[in-house]
Amino acid sequence: MLRAVFGLVLVATAWAQIDPPGFRPRPPATHALVGARVFTKPDTVFSNAIIVIRDGRILQVGPEAKVPADARVWDYSGQTIYAGFIDPYLTLGTNQPVTTAATEARAGRTDFTAAGGPRFFGVAGQEPDPGTPGPGYGLAEVTPEKRVAAIFAADTKVFEALREIGFTSAHWVPTKGILRGQSAFVQLGEGSPNDLLLRADVAQCLGFSTGGRDDAYPNSLMGVLAVLRQAWFDAQHYAADQADYAKRPGDRKRPAFNAALAALQAALSPTNRQPVFIEPGSVLMTDRARVLAGELGWTERVIVSSGDDWRRPDLVAQAGAPFVVPVAFPALPKFPDDDAWESVSLDQLRSWDWAPENPAVLRRAGREIALTTYALGDRKEFRKNLRAALDRGLSETDALAALTTVPARLCGLADRLGTIEPGKLANLTITDSKGYFDPEGKLRAVWIDGRPYEFEPAKTPLAKADDDKAAKEKAEKKKTELRELAKRRVARRPLDGRGMLTNPPAVFLMGATLWTGSSNGIVRNGNLLVEKGKVTFASQMELYSPPLGALVIDGVGLHVTPGILDAHSHSMILGGVNEATLPSTAMVRIGDVVNSETDNLHQQLAGGTTAVNLLHGSANPIGGQSQVIKLRDGDGPEELKFKPAPGGIKFALGENVKQANWGEKYTTRFPQTRMGVPTFMRNRFTAAQQYRDALKAPTAEPLRRDLELEALAEILAGQRLIHCHSYRQDEILAFLRTMESFGVRVGTLQHILEGYKVADEIAQHGAGASAFADWWGYKFEVIDAIPYAGSLMHARGVNVSFNSDSSDHARRLNFEAAKAVKYGGTPEAEALKFVTLNPAKQLGIDHWVGSLEPGKDADFVLWSGHPLDSGSVCLQTWIDGKKYFDRALEPARAKALADERTALIAKAKKLAGEGGDATASDKAREKFFQRALEHAVHLGVVNCQDCEMPR
Amino acid sequence: MFTTRLLLAALWPLAVGSACAASLLLTGGVLHTVSGPTLTNASLLVRDGKIAAVGQSIAEAADQKIDLKGQHVFPGLIAPMTVLGLQEIDGVRATRDTTESGDFHPDVLSWVSVNPDSELLPVARANGYTHAQPIPLGGVVSGQSAVIALAGWTIEDLTIKPAAALHVFWPSFALDTTPKERAPNPANWKSLEDQTKARDKKLRELDEFFNEAEAYAKAKSAAKDPNAFKPVPAWEAMQPVVRGEVPLNVHADEVRQIRSAVEWVTQRKLKAALAGGRDAWRVADLLATNRIPVLFEHVFTQPARDTDPYDAHYAAPAVLARAGVKVSFTDGTDRFGASNVRNVPYAAAQAMAFGLPREEAWRGLTLYPAEALGVADRLGSLEAGKEASFFVADGDILDLRTQVKRLWIAGQEVSLESRHTRLYDKYRARPKP
Repeated sequence: MLRAVFGLVLVATAWAQIDPPGFRPRPPATHALVGARVFTKPDTVFSNAIIVIRDGRILQVGPEAKVPADARVWDYSGQTIYAGFIDPYLTLGTNQPVTTAATEARAGRTDFTAAGGPRFFGVAGQEPDPGTPGPGYGLAEVTPEKRVAAIFAADTKVFEALREIGFTSAHWVPTKGILRGQSAFVQLGEGSPNDLLLRADVAQCLGFSTGGRDDAYPNSLMGVLAVLRQAWFDAQHYAADQADYAKRPGDRKRPAFNAALAALQAALSPTNRQPVFIEPGSVLMTDRARVLAGELGWTERVIVSSGDDWRRPDLVAQAGAPFVVPVAFPALPKFPDDDAWESVSLDQLRSWDWAPENPAVLRRAGREIALTTYALGDRKEFRKNLRAALDRGLSETDALAALTTVPARLCGLADRLGTIEPGKLANLTITDSKGYFDPEGKLRAVWIDGRPYEFEPAKTPLAKADDDKAAKEKAEKKKTELRELAKRRVARRPLDGRGMLTNPPAVFLMGATLWTGSSNGIVRNGNLLVEKGKVTFASQMELYSPPLGALVIDGVGLHVTPGILDAHSHSMILGGVNEATLPSTAMVRIGDVVNSETDNLHQQLAGGTTAVNLLHGSANPIGGQSQVIKLRDGDGPEELKFKPAPGGIKFALGENVKQANWGEKYTTRFPQTRMGVPTFMRNRFTAAQQYRDALKAPTAEPLRRDLELEALAEILAGQRLIHCHSYRQDEILAFLRTMESFGVRVGTLQHILEGYKVADEIAQHGAGASAFADWWGYKFEVIDAIPYAGSLMHARGVNVSFNSDSSDHARRLNFEAAKAVKYGGTPEAEALKFVTLNPAKQLGIDHWVGSLEPGKDADFVLWSGHPLDSGSVCLQTWIDGKKYFDRALEPARAKALADERTALIAKAKKLAGEGGDATASDKAREKFFQRALEHAVHLGVVNCQDCEMPR
Repeated sequence: MFTTRLLLAALWPLAVGSACAASLLLTGGVLHTVSGPTLTNASLLVRDGKIAAVGQSIAEAADQKIDLKGQHVFPGLIAPMTVLGLQEIDGVRATRDTTESGDFHPDVLSWVSVNPDSELLPVARANGYTHAQPIPLGGVVSGQSAVIALAGWTIEDLTIKPAAALHVFWPSFALDTTPKERAPNPANWKSLEDQTKARDKKLRELDEFFNEAEAYAKAKSAAKDPNAFKPVPAWEAMQPVVRGEVPLNVHADEVRQIRSAVEWVTQRKLKAALAGGRDAWRVADLLATNRIPVLFEHVFTQPARDTDPYDAHYAAPAVLARAGVKVSFTDGTDRFGASNVRNVPYAAAQAMAFGLPREEAWRGLTLYPAEALGVADRLGSLEAGKEASFFVADGDILDLRTQVKRLWIAGQEVSLESRHTRLYDKYRARPKP
C-alpha cells in the first residue's frame, strides 16, 4: 500500500529523487562509457569514443567528449557499442504469424459457416456475429479502437529475452483480427508501464487474416479485403456524418456513436496521419496492399514481410513502402526415414534455400528494411539467422540500419532513438570486440534510458590438451565447409523458366487449317499473320508474303484455333473461393485475390486455354465479383487481368445456396428453399434501387458508401454481368423473371443443367448458357442432366459455351466441345465456338478475343491435328502475339525442375544429415512444411466448387 | 416369331426386336479384333451367344444378316474398377452402397448390391460398355468384386464371374506435416515418427491377416472331423485367395506405396493387379519385371509433384507400355466415377495422343481388363469362341465424335436408350414458340 501511494507520487513529481526508506536508493544518473569502438550511426564508427549519459539521455559522444567530473566511468575498452536495437514488430502473446485466410489448418471444409448468418449491413441472419462486447464495429475481427497503450504491461520474460539478444526498445503491436487496433512503443527495461511506454497509438495495425471463427464473415481472403475497404469508407462517412450532425443537431436524425470508426479517424487524418502497419501474409497480398493503399489513401504504411518476397521481387520493387522483415527461416526437419524425402516438394526446398536471402532480396529491390524477431519460434535464433542473411548478401551497414535508424523512423521516433547522438535517449547495445554480426561475438550489456543491463561475462574455457587440437581443427574445418555450402544458393528464381517464351514483332503462320470462328469458317491452307500482338490476316493463302523480321511457322498439316476461353474457373484464386458466410457477398472481389503463381496457369496453357473467367463459388444466392484474366504466366496478378472485360458477379440458385448438403447445422440462414431465393434477390435489388436513387439525388445527410449495394447497382445500370449457377428449370425461369422485373438481362446461366427444358425462354431473355458438357449423377438436382443439353440449347438459339469448373477440364476444353458434336450433332465449327467465340460473347470480350479476325488479339493455339479429335495435342499457345507454351521446350523445362530438386536435396542432406537441422528450434523445423498461400493447392480451391458439398 | 420374341424378351429385358435370331452374320465391317489385326470389309458370325467366326468372308448362312456398310466393330468395353451399380447419385447418401466400415472384411461381396435398374448402366452401355467390375470400398481389405454384364433382370443375371478379385487398399505413406497447434484435431496429432510407426503397424497387420488366413486353412484341413470344425465367414472368404484362385487388386497411387505393395505381393507369391497406379510410370520396370498389370485411373489427374512434366499422367500409359506393362483404363471410384464411365475411352485416347500405340489404347479398354479380371477366355476381343459382346460404331471409339450405333451382350442386342436419350427426345419435341 505504502509503495503504491509513493509510487504515484513519484510519477507525479519528477524532481523527487529521494525515495522513502525501504526502497533501494536510485543510482547516480551520470555515466561516461569509455574505450569502446562506437557506431554512432550505421555508417559512422569511431574506434575509440566516449559516450556521456545524463538522466537517461546522451549528453556527448565522440573521441573528444569530456568525461564529466560527477560521472561514473565505465571502462568498455575493446568493446563495441551500437545505438540500442529496436524491434519494430513485437507481439502480445504468441510470436507466431497469424495465419492468413485458408491456410492449412483451415483446409477442412467442415465448419463452413454457423447456423444463421452474421449481421452485416442490413442482411440479418438469426445468429449475428456479436462483434466485441460494448460499442464497436459489429465484426469481432474489426477492432481499431483497441489500444496496446491501454492494456500494456511489461512481459518481463520476453523483455529479458529481447535484451539478451541486444534489443532495447520495441514497437508493440496487436495481432488479432483484421483491423487490429493501435500499437505502442515501449522501452524493454524494468519499471512501471508508465515509465516504459514511450509513445501510445503509434500505428493502426492491419492483417489480411481471418483469424477468428470460421463461421463469421469474413471467412475468406477476399472477404477480409472487402471488410477493410468497407471499414475505411465507413470511417470516412462517420467523420462527415458526425460533422454534419454537429452543425445542425436539431435538423436531422442523430447518428450512432461508433468507437471503432472514431478510432480510425487518426489513420484518416489529412495532417499528422497515423501510419498503418500491414501484415499481408504472402507476397501477392503484399502487392494487393499496394493497390489498396492507392484506393484508401494509406500513404504512411509499413509492410510486414511474409518472408516470401523472393518469390516475386518484381512486385516487391513496386511496393512503395518500407518493410518490417522477420528472420524466421525454415530449418531442415528430421525425417523418420530416407523415403520421406519423397514427399518434399521443390517449392518447400526453394522456400528453405531462399529464406535467408530474403532480406537481401528486399534491399536489392530497393526496399528499406527493419528487422524483427517476430515469427521466430525461439528468439535466440535471431543472431544465427541474421548471420545467415548476411552470408546471403545483406550488408552489415544495412543490417545495422535495419536494427536502429530505420525502425526508429518507421515508429516516428527518429528524434529520440536510432543513433548515438546528443539529445537522444541513452539506449545502447554493447558487444565484445568481435561485434554483433560475428556469431562468436558476445553481448556484454544493453543500456536502456541510461540504465545498464549487464550480462554475465562469458567464462573463458579451460585450456585443453594439445591432442584435442587436431580434432578441434577438423571440426572447425567441417563447420566452415558447411557454412560455405549454406552460403551458396542452389534454388533458382521461381520466375526462371516461366512466362513468355518469344515475343516476335510479327508471326506468319503458313499453310495451316484455320478455325477462324469468323464468317470465313474453317480455312484449309490458310495463312495467319500477327503483327504487334494483333491478328492482321487470317484467311486463304493468297499472294502474301510475311513482313520483314516476322517469325515464320510452317503450319502444313497443323490446325490453328483461337485461344480457348473458360467461362467458369476457380483455378487461380487465393485464400478461398467462397465467402460462404452471408447470403449476399456482392462486396467481395475475386480481383483482389488472383493467384499468379499457381502451376494451373502453365498446365492450362498447355491445353490451349488463354483466358478464363475466375468466379466466386456458389455458397450464397449473391456471391462475389468475378474477374476475367488472360493466362500470361509470369505476370503479376494485376497484369493478368484482362482490362477491357466488363465486370461480372456470381449468383447461385438451388441446393448449394439453400445449404441442402451442408449438414444438419445449417438450417437457419435465409433462404432455405428454392422459394426463398427469388425473395432474397428481390429484397437486395429493391435495396439497390433505393441506394442508386439516393446517390442520384443526394439527401441532406452524407450518404454511406455501401459496397454490396454498389455492386448490385452496377448490375441495374447494365455495367456488371451476372453469371448465375443454376440447375433446375423452375429456378431458372423464376430467376430470369425476377431479373426481368428489375430490367436486368442476365449475362450467363452457369452449369444450367436443365436449361434444355427452357431453352426458348433463355433465348428470348438473351442470357448465355455456360454449361458442363456432360456432367451428371453427382447430386440430386442434376438428376435430369443430359449431354445433349448444349446442342439442344444451341439449336434453339441460345448462345452456348462449355466451361471447365475444374483445373483438370480446363486443360482440355476442346474435347469438351467435341461432345457437342457427339451428343446432338452440332456442326464442328459451331462446336469449337462453344469454347472460343461463344464464351467471349458471354463475357463481353468478343470485340478482342474468341476468333481469328483482323484487329483481334493474337491469342491462338497450334494443334497437331483436328482440334476436336481426342488424338490431337496442343503444340503451342500464343497470347497477344507472344508465345507462352511450346511443347517442344517442355522436356528441358521439366528436366531443369527435376535437376534443381535433386541438387537441393543433395545440399539439404549434406547440411543436415539424417537428424535434420539440430541447431534449429522445433518451430523452425515445422516451418519447413508450411506452404505459401500461393501454392496451397491442396486447400480444396481447385476443382468443381459448384458441385462440391461437405459430407 | 412372335413367341420367340416374347420368350427372349422375358429372358432379356433390354433386347432389341430383331436381336432374337439364333445366329447373326455381320458383313462389310471394319473389325477391330484387338487381339489380332484389324480386318476391313470383314464379317463376324454369332451363334448361340458366341462368336462363331471372324474373317474376311464367311460363307455360312445365318438367321439374320446385317450389312455394316463400313462401320466399325469393337469388342465390348470393360470398366475394370468402378462403383457403377453401387451408387446412383453421389450427393445423396441413401443411394450410395460403396463403402463399408471396418478395416478387414473380405466377406463383403460387391455384386450382391448392384442395382440392375440403375440409370447409370444404360448410359455406360450407350458408349460401348458391356461389362464392369464394381468394387467394394472401405478399410484395408474391403471385400470381393465380380465381373458383371451391364444388362440383365437380376443380380444373378448380371454376375458373370463372382469373386473376380479381392481388394486391398494399401496403407498410405504420406506424412501429415501439420504442426500440432494447427491440427484440426490436436488430440489425434502424431509426430512424423509416430505416423511412420502407425503405418508400419498397419502394414504388419495386413501381412498378419494373410498369415492368419493361411493358418485357418491349415487348421481347417487338419480338423479330424470336418463337420465339427466351426467356420468363420471372413476366413472362409479368404480361402480361395490363399489358394491363389482369387487374385488381388491392390489399390495404391503413391510411388512408395506401390513399391511396398509390389514387394509384398511378390514375396507372398500372390497374383495381383495394381489399381489406381498414379505413380506407376515411375516404377514401370518394377511392374514389368513382376508382371503386374495396372488398372490406371490417372490420365486426367493433374501432376502430383511440382517437378513433374505437365503431361506426366497423359504419357504414363505409354511409359508403362514401353516397359512391357499392360495398362487398363478406368475412371476410378470417386464421386464422378460411376457416371463418367462413358468417358474412359477418351482417357485412352489422350494416352494415345501422348505416345501409346493405338492398338494398346484399344486393348486397355477391352482385352487387358478382361485379362486382369480373369475373363479373357470369354471377353475382350473379337475371336471365335468368345462371348458375342461387341458394338458397332461409325468410327474409332477413341474419337470423341464417334457414335455407338448398336450393341450386343452375349449375342443379344441391347438397347442404347437411356434416361438421357429419353429426355433428349422429349424436349427436342417441345413445340417451339
